[in-house]
This record gives sequence, C-alpha cells and structure tokens, in this order.
Amino acid sequence: MDGGKVTLGRTAGLYLGAAVLRLALFTLFPGLADLLTGRVEISTPVTSFKRLQEGLFLYDHNVSPYDGGVYHQAPLFLPLFSLLPSLPIFTYLLYIAVDILSAGALLKIADSGEAGSSALFTSPRREKRWSGFVIATVFLFNPFTIATCIGRSTSVFTTCAILHAIAKAVAGAPFGAMVALSFAAYLSMYPLLLLPPLLLLCYDRQPPESAIKPGVQSAATNILVVVGVLAALFQMSYFITGSWEFLPSTYGVQLTLSDLTPNIGLWWYFFIEMFDSFRSFFLAVFWLHLSCYVGGLTIRLRRQPLVVLTLLLGIFSIFKPYPSISDASLFLAMVPLYRHVFPLMRYTFVIAAVIMYTTFLGPAFYHLWIYAGSGNANFFYAITLVWGLGQSLLVCDLTFAVLRDEWEVERPEMVGKDIRQI
Amino acid sequence: MPSVNFASILTSLRSRTYTTRLPLFTRGVLVAILAFWIAGIQSLWDVRAWGGLAPDQVGITTLYRLNTFPFIHLNIFHALMNALALAPLLERFESEHGTLTSLALFFGPLTTIPAFIYLFVEKFILRSNTSVMGASMWIFLLLGIEAIRTYRVNPYFVISTYNIPTWTSPLALLVVIAALVPSSSFLGHLSGLIVGYICGLGYLKFLAPPEKVLRWIEARLNLLGRLPYYISIDQKTYGRFGVLPSSGSPSRAGALRLRRDPRILKLPPYLSLLCILVGVVWLFLLPLDEYSRRTYISENALLPGQVHTYFGGSDQNVFRAYKHEVNSLVGKSNVEINDKLESIVKGLGLKAGRQNFTYRSAGRVYSGENLYAILQAPRGDATEAIVLVAAWENAKEELNRNGVALVLTLARYFKRWSLWSKDIIFLVTPDSIAGPQAWVDAYHDAHDSARVDSLPLKSGALQGAIAIDYAKEGRFESVHVVYDGVNGQLPNLDLINSVVSIAGGQMGMGVAIQEMWGHNDQYPDRLRTMLRGMLKQGLGLASGPHSSFIPYHVDAVTLQPFGDGWQDEMAMGRVVEGTFRSLNNLLEHLHQSFFFYLLMQRERFVSIGTYLPSAMLVAANFTIMAIALWVKSGQPESEAEPVKKEAGSTDSEEMTRPTVERDLFLPLGVVTLCQFLAVVPLYLFNHAPESMLTPTFTIFAIINTALPHALSHLLMTYYTPSAQQYQLIKSFSLLLLGMFLSSLATLNFSLAFLVGLLASPLTFMRPWPQSPAMRIACTVLLNAVAPTAVLVTAALAWHLDINTVLREAAFAWDVCGMYTPVVVWCVWWPAWLAGSVTVLGRPEVGKKKQKMT
Repeated sequence: MDGGKVTLGRTAGLYLGAAVLRLALFTLFPGLADLLTGRVEISTPVTSFKRLQEGLFLYDHNVSPYDGGVYHQAPLFLPLFSLLPSLPIFTYLLYIAVDILSAGALLKIADSGEAGSSALFTSPRREKRWSGFVIATVFLFNPFTIATCIGRSTSVFTTCAILHAIAKAVAGAPFGAMVALSFAAYLSMYPLLLLPPLLLLCYDRQPPESAIKPGVQSAATNILVVVGVLAALFQMSYFITGSWEFLPSTYGVQLTLSDLTPNIGLWWYFFIEMFDSFRSFFLAVFWLHLSCYVGGLTIRLRRQPLVVLTLLLGIFSIFKPYPSISDASLFLAMVPLYRHVFPLMRYTFVIAAVIMYTTFLGPAFYHLWIYAGSGNANFFYAITLVWGLGQSLLVCDLTFAVLRDEWEVERPEMVGKDIRQI
Repeated sequence: MPSVNFASILTSLRSRTYTTRLPLFTRGVLVAILAFWIAGIQSLWDVRAWGGLAPDQVGITTLYRLNTFPFIHLNIFHALMNALALAPLLERFESEHGTLTSLALFFGPLTTIPAFIYLFVEKFILRSNTSVMGASMWIFLLLGIEAIRTYRVNPYFVISTYNIPTWTSPLALLVVIAALVPSSSFLGHLSGLIVGYICGLGYLKFLAPPEKVLRWIEARLNLLGRLPYYISIDQKTYGRFGVLPSSGSPSRAGALRLRRDPRILKLPPYLSLLCILVGVVWLFLLPLDEYSRRTYISENALLPGQVHTYFGGSDQNVFRAYKHEVNSLVGKSNVEINDKLESIVKGLGLKAGRQNFTYRSAGRVYSGENLYAILQAPRGDATEAIVLVAAWENAKEELNRNGVALVLTLARYFKRWSLWSKDIIFLVTPDSIAGPQAWVDAYHDAHDSARVDSLPLKSGALQGAIAIDYAKEGRFESVHVVYDGVNGQLPNLDLINSVVSIAGGQMGMGVAIQEMWGHNDQYPDRLRTMLRGMLKQGLGLASGPHSSFIPYHVDAVTLQPFGDGWQDEMAMGRVVEGTFRSLNNLLEHLHQSFFFYLLMQRERFVSIGTYLPSAMLVAANFTIMAIALWVKSGQPESEAEPVKKEAGSTDSEEMTRPTVERDLFLPLGVVTLCQFLAVVPLYLFNHAPESMLTPTFTIFAIINTALPHALSHLLMTYYTPSAQQYQLIKSFSLLLLGMFLSSLATLNFSLAFLVGLLASPLTFMRPWPQSPAMRIACTVLLNAVAPTAVLVTAALAWHLDINTVLREAAFAWDVCGMYTPVVVWCVWWPAWLAGSVTVLGRPEVGKKKQKMT
C-alpha cells in the first residue's frame, strides 16, 4: 500500500515538475514561445500555431477558415480554441495538460510490460526494463517534447491521441483504442496507417476473462468503430465550417504537398525541384513508400505488435510529408520501452551523436540560409538528410535488436555470438 | 572437430566477402596478371613481344614463353575481363586440389600442353604465325574440366524434345566469343578446351605430382603454418565446400576483426594530436602564395572605378562651410546638434527623421538620438537604398568632424545628380556602436520598442552601407578599410574589393586593412594580418558603425583615412562617390563573391573551402576522442575481468567479448550539471554593474580554481565512479564540445578555431589514479588554459583593464547580440570543468572503498 502511495506521489511530482518547467519557460521567457512557434523544425504548415491563430481569426469573424490557404488543420480545433478564454495562460495550460496526458498514457503502456512480453512472444531479457516513471520522465523532459509544447504545435494533440490509442489497446479496451486512433487520424490523417498493428494489439490483449472473439469478427467490429467515429467527426466538422471544403484543405494538402514551406522532412526540397509533369507520379510513389512499411512490418513482427507501432512511428517521423521534431519526440518516447534490447543495438552512440549534431547544425544552417544569406537551401536540406539518416539508423538498429531477440529464442545456441546480416 | 565448429565456420565462410577468401595461388596469378599489365605500360621494354606465344619465336632458349603467355594481356580491358573470368574457376580448382598441386599443374602440363597443341596446329598445319597471349586459354581449360564434371552428374539439358549434352556448353561459349570478341584466338581457346576435356575425363591424372612428395614438401616447409590463404593437400577429407585447413583466421570478418583489434584503441590520442597539429599547420600555410588567392571582382555589375568622379572643385568650399558649422556644434548636446543638422539637410531638400534610443548595460546608460535624411532616387522606386553613415564620435571616441562635414557635403552633391537608382540615406549617429545598432534594428522592425524608438521614415531594402570615420585633421595618405561585423560576420568580399579598386586603383591612394599601416606583402605581414583578422572575428565585437549592418545582410565597411600624405577631404569624398556609383549599379544584392574569407593583404584572401578544414580538424579531434572513449568504455577492463572461457566450448575465440553494460546515468548527470552551471557565469558577467565586474571576476576565478576539486571530492565521496564512468564523462563532454565547435565553425570560423585550440589539452586529460605528480601537473596545465586565466592573460597582453574587457563584452552582448560570452561560458567552460573533474578523479580509490564496504 505504502509503496503504491509513494509511486503515486512520485508520478504526481513528475507531472508537477514538468508542468512547472513548461510554465516557467512560457512565462519567464515571453519571447521564447513566439520564437519557437516560428521555427520550421517545430511548426509545419499542418501543425503551426500561428496558422491556427489565423484560422481562428477568420472563424471568429465568420469567414471560412480555409480562405486564404493558410490554415490546414482540422476544423474541430477552431471551436476548441475559440472557447478558451483569450488570455494566453489558458493556451499554455491546455498544452501542458495535453503533454501530461500523453505522459500518463505512456506510463500505462510501459507499466503493462507489453514491450517485453506480448501474447505470442516473451523476451528472455524482459527483466531489464525501465519503469513507466522513468519512461514518462524521459518523454516529459526530452528537449524535443518541451520545444514542441512551448512552440504550441498542434501535433501534440495527435501525439496524445496516438499514445492513448496504444494505451487503451494494451489495457484491453479496443473500443477506446479505436476512438482514440480515429481522433488521431482525424487530426493528422497519417495515424490511420497504424490501424493494422493496433488491431493486432487489441486482439492480442483481449482480457482473458471475456470470451475470446474470433479475429475477423473483432477486426471488423473495430474497423466499424473507426469508420463510425471518423464519420461522426467529419459530420461535426461539416456543421462547424458549413462545407466540405475542409477535406481538400487539410488532408488534401498532406496528400498533394501543396505547401512547400521547408521542414525537417525529405519531401519539400524534392518537390521544389520537381517538374510539374512528374509531380503526381512522385506523390504517389512517396505515399506508397510511406505506407508500404505497414504491411511488411505487421506481418514480420506479428508476435510483437507494439514493436510494429514503435517502428512505424519512427518511419513516419522520417518519411511523412510534414514531419517535425514533435514526431521525433513521439518516436523517442516509445524507444525506451525497449530497454531490454538496448544491449543488442549496435550503433547507439552513432545514432545519439548524429541526432545531436543535426539538432545543432540544423538551426545553424537554417540561419546561414535565411538570415545571414551566406548559405543556401542545400545547407539546410543536407542537414535534414542527415537527420533522416540518424533516425533511420535508429529504426534499423531497433528492428535488428528486436529480431535478434526473437531469433535468440529460436536459436538458443547462438546467444552472444557474432552474426552478420548478408 | 565438433560439428558446432563446422557450422559456425561454414556461415562465416559464406559471410566473408569473396575477395578475402581467395586462396593463395589464385591470388598469385591475379597479382601476376596485374603486375605484367603494369610492366607493359612503359615503352622501354615490350613485355608483349617478350612473353607472348609467338610460334616463330619459340626455340629451345625461349621456352619460357610457354609459361609466361597466360599472364600477359593486350590491354587493361583484356586483363580485367580475363581476371574476372579466371578468378572463380581457378579458386574452385585450387580449393579442390590444393595450392601446391595447382602450382605444379599450372606451371607445367596444363599450360604447356595446350601451348604445344596450338604451336603445332598454327605452325605446321596452318603455316601462319599469330602470337597469342592471355589467360583465356586457362579459362577454357577449366571450363572444360567443369563441363565434364557437370556432364557426369547431369548429362543433358532438354530443350523441347532435344537432349543436348551438357559438356557442349563451353563449345557454345567458344563460338560466341570467337564471333563477338575482336582479336580473340579461336584456336588457342580450342586447344585449351580440348586439354580441359581430356583432363576432366581423367586421362591426365598421371601428370599430377605424386601426393607423397607434395605431402613431404608441405610438412617439411610447414607451408600451412607459414603462408596465408594456403590450401593444403589434405582437402580430400573434407571435400570442396567443407572445412579446408587453411591458415587464415576463418572466423571473423575484416571490419569486425579490425574493430576488436586492441591496437585500434591505442590510435585515437595520436590521431587527435595529429588533427590538432595538422589544423594549426594548415592555418600557418594559408598565407603562402600556393594556398591564397588574389582577389577579384565577381559581380560584373559593380564596375568599380569605371566612372569619372566629379566631386571636388567648388565642393571644397561647401565642405569648408559645413565644417565650420560642425565646429560650431562641438560640445553641444546631442539634441542641439541634431536640430542644427536637421535644418541643414532639410535645407538641401531631403526628408529627415530622428530616432531616440536608450540602452542599459553593466549599470551604464547609453542613450542618444540618431538623425537621418533620405535622398529619394530620381530614377528609382524607393525599393532599395544605400546608407552613408558618419558617427559624431568614432569608436575611439574622437570627434568625427571631417566625417560629418563630408557626409553633409556629399548629401548636397548627390542631390544634384539625377543618376541614382537607389535611395541614399545619410545617417548621423551620436556614437559608433549603439546608435547605428538602434537605427538598423528599427529599420528592420527588429527593435525592442522599450529601448529604441521606431523610425518615422523609411526607404527600401538596404543594399549596402559605407561609414566614414574621418577624425584626422589635415591631409592623409591612405584609407584603412574596417570590415569586421558583429559575431565575426563579414561583408561580401566584392564590397571590399570595390573599395580597394577605387581607392587604390582609381584614386591612387594606399589601402590598408587590420591596422597594418605598412604591408610588404611578405609571409610575416600576411600572417599577422590574417591572425589579427581572426582575432577580431573571434572576439566578435563591433569594430565601427558598419558592424551593426552586417547581421542584417547589409554589406558595409568603415573607411578611415590615415597617414600623412597629400590626399585631401575631396579625395575621400571621391572614394565614397565612386563606391556609391558602383553600388548604384547593382541589380541585386551582393551575392556573387565570398561571405566567408580571411584577408591577408588588401588583394589576397583565402576562401572558406581552403581554411575551414583547419577548424574542423580541431573540432574533429574532440569527436574522435569521444568515439574512442565510448568504444573503450564498452570493453571489459582486461586486468579486472579476464575473459572467462566457457567449459566445453573449444572455440573460445569464436565467442565475442561481450560489450560491458555502460552505466550512463552518472556521466550524463555530471555533464548536464556542468552545462547547467554555465548559466551562472553567463548571468553574472552580463548583469553585474560596472563597479562590481572586477570583484565578481576575481571571486569567480578563485571559485573556478576550487570548483573541480570540490566537485571531484563530492563525486568520489557519494558515487565512487569507476574508470568507465570517468571515460564516459570525458567522452560525453568532448562529444558536446566537438559538436558545438563544428556547428560554430560554420558561423564563426575564428572563434571555433581559437576555442578549439585553447580547449585542445582537454582531449588528453584522463584520471591519474597512480601518479599524483601527473595529476598535479595536469591540473596546473588545465588551470593555465582555463577561460578565466586566458581572459586575464589576454587582457594583460593587450594592456587592457579587465574591467574594460568585461564591460565591453556585456555591452556587446546587451546591445549588439554578440554571442561570444555564450560560447566561452556555455561551450568552453563546461568542457573545461568536466575535463578538470576527470583529471582529479581517482577511480581506484573508489573501487577500494567499495571493496571495504
């Protein structure tokens, strides 16, 4: 009992600490929030708080928020933010609360132990893991998470929804998971790709006391839930904005990449250089590339659906059309769940060094390009390539470690021996 | 041998790249082919005529030709193709029959018999004389052997209803090659193939040297032990793809083996040292003619010195009149001065504006009022502007009488011309740093409105700015061009080149840079100029009214007349006129030429591509060491934990030495703590009032000396860090340092280089648990290169008061946004602190304590 209390107190302290740190950053450095809001690393066309304010202004003046082509976010943000009192402190508190909710979901995922032992696979190394408290701490005090929160990027809502979807699935509540995923998909569209592994996770984590439903039936039910919730959300959006215009302005922009503002992803430069006649072809290729991982990973890592979700989040944060450090922070939040396979990873130091180097060189080169005028776009793009390289190294290395962990269960005689991928 | 061993060797054999497992004889043949090709490149000795199989030439003394012809090829393409085709076949043959047998056969019957067949047919039947060479005969011979072998296992392949015997496949290849490849010898190939067939059928077995002899030779000479990649006769026990007893370590791939090699870990300190040395030497090579370049005008639109300048004549009288007015204003308040000047510029028909500013720094107040006037371009649309600045007081706080009078004269003069396509802004500021900074900030709406007023009047985008610092009375000899911007940013080289070309070329006056009043263009003077430039760039201070413009991507320089000569104020005016005419020509922002350069004479420079490697090398030395320490920390300490050999496992070499789990928490904590502590000095020195600066610094310097000891003591008392943890502390701190410095090198090369050089001893610091003398020596060394000590030394060297240095730094930080203090306190100082803690660490003491408890 006592221990539980201490843990609870500890968690509350963590949340309080994270909230105080963020609030201090908001209030003590009033210029910081606006500075970070303007950074391309944090705010993309589809998550920028500045654009949200623009949309909000139009919405409050009874103009369609999508007029002018600045606002590309989901319509339901508008009533949410216009209901908030106009003082900035309430916005800050909302963002802080969302971060803490995300951390809470992460804590539940970590404490379930799903990462170490799923329904079909139990890692021999699962004993060596970090508690949910540590993982939540790593998430809440990750500079990327803090910067995203201070920059008030709306991607924090997506992050929160995704983490809650996973947490619900792990807790054996498929309905909740599907609703949360629908919200994530409604806000940013790409989380819909997480549906297949999430269905498997829901199926694997059905509470034992209830009658096990056959797979097809439960999947069909869950998909129906997602479709239903999404339909309801779209209908609400229709009522709010009065037209279906929001569909091309939000999802259409992501699909066609019509806003080429630089970001840390790999798309913008490519599509700036592209001749118009090839544009649609390459859009299809890029999207196909992004989505092709889902099937393969889900099948190959069938026994560990949470790994698939983690890897997919990493892949999305590299290859999605408008990535930001918020996506990286979500991926980096999930990675510590696999503390038990860290000893199997081979490039941890390289990955850490690459990610840190790019974190500093990125803004420096952006400065040289935009402000000093002594560099050009290639400087920044080169760094985004390296950033992508660092993250893909992490994805690859984690995949390797997880597969090696599985393989060592099959081949106990090979434990600890060198192997090489051919 | 147990089967486990067999399986593991099998997998690793496969995994090795193909080339690394080529056996000895095959390697030898390939090398010989290569060597003969190289020998054939020269023209003195015709290798092809010497060694080819020419039927005429073969006599009893030239029988060597029978053996040399397969190694000699017509050209590189021929050699390459044959080598590619031969390697897998010969490798197969050799791994099956052993190195010694292959050697005997291929230097004997398998080469000479086809050669004799060829000679016989060519000479006596065909009666012609075609010289052949190349290894393709061997290829066909080996193909023939393989074909017969395949035929035995798998006699036919079926195409529709026809059964085609498999042994015919080399014949098909023979025909195809004869048809497709020019100058290939059908007959030579055919003779090789025939011998191959015969050999494959087993009729030539008698030619092989007796096994007993070979065994005896092998055992006698211990060939297996001595030669790498050697394949023994004893293959028959294991078969073709079985375990061949060969001497090369079969188990580990090259890169992995290299990574585990203990020698590799000894290398990084030397590599780091080499990086630093090369970096420094590199820098000292730059002034040589071979590494620096002459400057050139890159932007053709500038056309410097191509126009006739008309300033002079009666303008001299105007100048005298304005100077009289200026003299009458000396000693009056800023507002009175501006009232008078405003009436003058308004009288010229210009629009004028005034701007107040008040900066507070180190307890001082810097306030004043800027006055500026805009000459609207007769031929422009007010989208672009050029600025002419004169500060009432220059950077040395001398009265800029001639400068202000000259600006007024030029304003009157420029107004008369109708050729301006850009607006011209005349700016008179009360001082040289704060005033221009306030004005430029406000011009770009980047000002803090609590301290600086907005501008009432604006023009277009600023394209360039020239500041006149003409406090000198009387005639002058040369012009000194000051070009350093805040934070080491520089104006486009084209602007400097234009000024040099106009003043030096057109007007015939001297031009100097970096206070090198006399410059003989020899190595010492060039080096001195470059180092002065680097030092100024590294400090990042504003050096004149132009400095504030550069961060806004407005290229600007300050012109200072100096020396005693015969040039008068009118000549100075003509230089400004010529430069403005050039800037007026610009169609777009200066962008053609370099933004990153080091000038070493007015017409000689090095660009970023040439000098950046030196700073990057210095930064890389930290990263190299960090990576090395990381790898090292992952390996078990040899004396502490000997690798346990598992019982029952015969191949303990096969087992990887497991990387030790690294304890990251403490090292990360220490490095983070050091980084966070850095906020303290940064805050202190930027917020202390002027009177408190020296005492604060003294106290900080004392605490700074004691701090590593205190931290180290705390660490050892409460955490007893291990050697690995000290390695990791150092690794992380060096990684951060390397990362910051290489990022910084792209922004401010000189600062990154200087800090990197001063921090370079940190690379070589490590705990000295056994030797207190070394520990003390290292501590003394580190204290000598501590940021505080360097600051004091520098101040003494330049005869500056430490108070002045700190005040200037605080002023530059508060007003200009100079980031040098951030680099010193948040990059260099934490690394220094972590390094000092590492030196003072005694991991052994910690271990003993742990054992006691």
